Amino acid sequence: MAEEQRKPKKRMTATKAAASIGPMVKEFITGTNRARAEGKRKLAYTFIVCHHEEILRAMDVLPVWTENFAGICGVKRAAERFLQKAESLGFSRSLCTYALCGLGFDQWREELGEMPPDAPWGGQARPDFMISSGQILCDPRTKWYQAAQQFMPDVPIYNIDLPHPLFDPKKDHREVWGYYHKYIVDQLRGLVSFVEEQTGKKMDYDRLRELVALSDRTWNLVHETYELRQAVPCPMGTGDAMNTMVPLCFMMATQEAYDFYVNLKQELEEKIARGEGEVEDEKYRLLWGGGLPAWYALNDFNYLNSKGASFPAETTYRMVVPIYEMDIPETDDPIEHIAWKWLGYWTHWYDKARNRPGSEPDVERLIEYIENYKIDGVVMHLAFSCRTWHVGLIWQLHQLAKIYRPIPVLMLGGNGKGDKVQRELPSLILESDIIDITSYSEMDTRNKIDAFIETLESVRQTKAA
Amino acid sequence: MSEKTAVMSRVDRYYEDYGLRAKELSREGTKIIGYICSFVPLEMITAAGCVPFRLRGNIREPITKGDTLMETIVCPFIRSCFDLALKGRYDFLSGMVIPHACDSMVRGYSAWSFSLELPYFHFVNIPSVVKESSFEFFQHELNAYRNSLEDLVKKPVTDADLSSAIKVHNQNRTKVRALYEFRKADPPILSGTELSKTLVVAASLPIHESNELLDEVLAEIGTRQESPFQPGPRILIDGPCVDNMELMKIIEDLGGHVVTDTICNGTRDNWPRVNENKAPLTAIANRYLAGINCPKTYRENKAGTFEGDIKARFGDIGYFSKSFKVDGAVLYTYKFCDPFGFEVPARKAYYESIHVPLLYLEDLYSAGTIGQLKTRIQAFLEMIE
Repeated sequence: MAEEQRKPKKRMTATKAAASIGPMVKEFITGTNRARAEGKRKLAYTFIVCHHEEILRAMDVLPVWTENFAGICGVKRAAERFLQKAESLGFSRSLCTYALCGLGFDQWREELGEMPPDAPWGGQARPDFMISSGQILCDPRTKWYQAAQQFMPDVPIYNIDLPHPLFDPKKDHREVWGYYHKYIVDQLRGLVSFVEEQTGKKMDYDRLRELVALSDRTWNLVHETYELRQAVPCPMGTGDAMNTMVPLCFMMATQEAYDFYVNLKQELEEKIARGEGEVEDEKYRLLWGGGLPAWYALNDFNYLNSKGASFPAETTYRMVVPIYEMDIPETDDPIEHIAWKWLGYWTHWYDKARNRPGSEPDVERLIEYIENYKIDGVVMHLAFSCRTWHVGLIWQLHQLAKIYRPIPVLMLGGNGKGDKVQRELPSLILESDIIDITSYSEMDTRNKIDAFIETLESVRQTKAA
Repeated sequence: MSEKTAVMSRVDRYYEDYGLRAKELSREGTKIIGYICSFVPLEMITAAGCVPFRLRGNIREPITKGDTLMETIVCPFIRSCFDLALKGRYDFLSGMVIPHACDSMVRGYSAWSFSLELPYFHFVNIPSVVKESSFEFFQHELNAYRNSLEDLVKKPVTDADLSSAIKVHNQNRTKVRALYEFRKADPPILSGTELSKTLVVAASLPIHESNELLDEVLAEIGTRQESPFQPGPRILIDGPCVDNMELMKIIEDLGGHVVTDTICNGTRDNWPRVNENKAPLTAIANRYLAGINCPKTYRENKAGTFEGDIKARFGDIGYFSKSFKVDGAVLYTYKFCDPFGFEVPARKAYYESIHVPLLYLEDLYSAGTIGQLKTRIQAFLEMIE
């Protein structure tokens, strides 16, 4: 039996909140299909982390998160036939497999005039329009929908350009961010006009202001909730966080998302009070330091848990910093605020990085989490098809080891006595893909994990006081 | 040795010992600024009194050091350039400019800037869309770029400096166009390999020397009374940067002629001009944002139809195919190249619409694939002959 067809063992979650995510995702996928059938609301293909959810929701547009649908195909090990479809159209398998899965699916749906057979959770609804996003990263975000227009030429695109200043150790980003802000505001106002044109409705700015405030509260709450994971033992790990990212990435500007984190926070507080960790006997605290997960192999988190490894923090999908920690100008204009929030998030680690010689924002973030969450080692995942989140990881680990050596160990010196030296954190890079299961070997992955655990254990035993 | 042999021999020498002249200039105190992509506004570097230098990769050199700091999922061309830079092949550089082009370039920025430890490193944020506000933003960004160079050279870069740099770079583009003209004859007077090699070398020289070299090559080719080649299929190369000659050589060794292209170090670098009648920053912004047709830039589908969209996006292919009377095209992309990769089906459809037979090749920027390329190109040439 092909690996693709083998039903994966369900990952065990540490929290009830994480366990509740599956039905929630199913509902918003089936919900878009219901909305399509009813025809009352406009549907928009779009991407996460574009800071435009408030605008869409204020105008009653239902987002169809195309990365999410591809991820679901990955989780259900049902992506291969859509990837093959895309390949048959002339797309290389080396490209972003989320996009390939989406394009294969869309072409098939358009060809049939109905959902492809056995489409996961009823399939992905046809959009009324598409909102892509040229950012400072992720080429597929600009190219995916443009390519999809070959099969859906009648579906218009609005592409929002959302740049941010890149880190320069010698320059304060605030010297240039004024014109970045103006540009992003122009882009977002352009989006409002486009959506007004598509929906025939005018933007209700009071409603937008309320939704922006709700998103801000949710951001702060997510931060405060995730900070609880600093507790020893850690009450919730990255495996669960790959579920609890759903309201943050796909349901912002909704009360439901806010309530979800209220409940999660309460659940974590209760677990901490009971001294209940993600794993029963927590031996190693690991940082998921980068890379999207292999969605079809989330069980690997359980495998790591079984070795006494917990994941109190991750950089992936934790796309928030508390608003009150952001050094951004205040404004009553919701669009201007969204633009400042965008810049505030992307430049959040710049000042800290400038203050540590050899550091850089992504590295600085790793250091911050390592210190705050008492981390013993770093794990990353290198997905071959995604350059956006996976290029730079090797260099980050290299630079981290160069500038940050937090572990005191005793080494035998030339005089035969033990000398205390500082060493870097052990790290592990796993390799496969986000949804292309053909790139994954469970045996190789677990062998690598076993070797990494041995290293962690050896460090634990030689750690000097 | 005749005069014409002398100039082409010089091209060969500069091509084989790439960076030879830049190295000499660097020793004399000139600041050499490296770049990899068509999006880097070169006029600014020249206006600052520095020399823009296009980095090359090397398909025959295995990537070793580069792989210790950069993932193998990066575009193989960029990896090769990075590898050579790490190995010290470009140790004469005073700095580098990296633009917001593709993910491979942007996400690798820290690896480049921290590993090479050059005195100057600058990132130019090229907008992803072509709208009125994009031009305004881009002009601010160009100004920041200008300021960064002023800090390096410790003197102001004035509009007058920019205007004269624009002029001399436009002269360069005019000369390149004149070289392309020699390929309109059937069979062409100038081979694709000769032209591409000349362009690779020209991008490694100070702009005035580059102009002088092009003048000499033009003079030499101008002495050719008739084509030294046998008739054969006329080919257009479409794709990103192709700075090693093997692809052209394979086509030409098999009897074809590379007569034109839409590659970065070909027409993408050299065709669009900066408007000399506009304010320098405005004109540079227009040239590099609206003029450079790279798949990285999103261009709105104004036609509302797929056919209209591809005509607008790939019209340059149609223009070059017609002007140079091509018999077929090779769409040559690198593995892991998202900007070009996502356009392959649309480009194929466009070629079909203009009735130009197409061979699509996805390659690894490695000498290891030459054999495979030969087989596929041979079959293609036989098919269209």
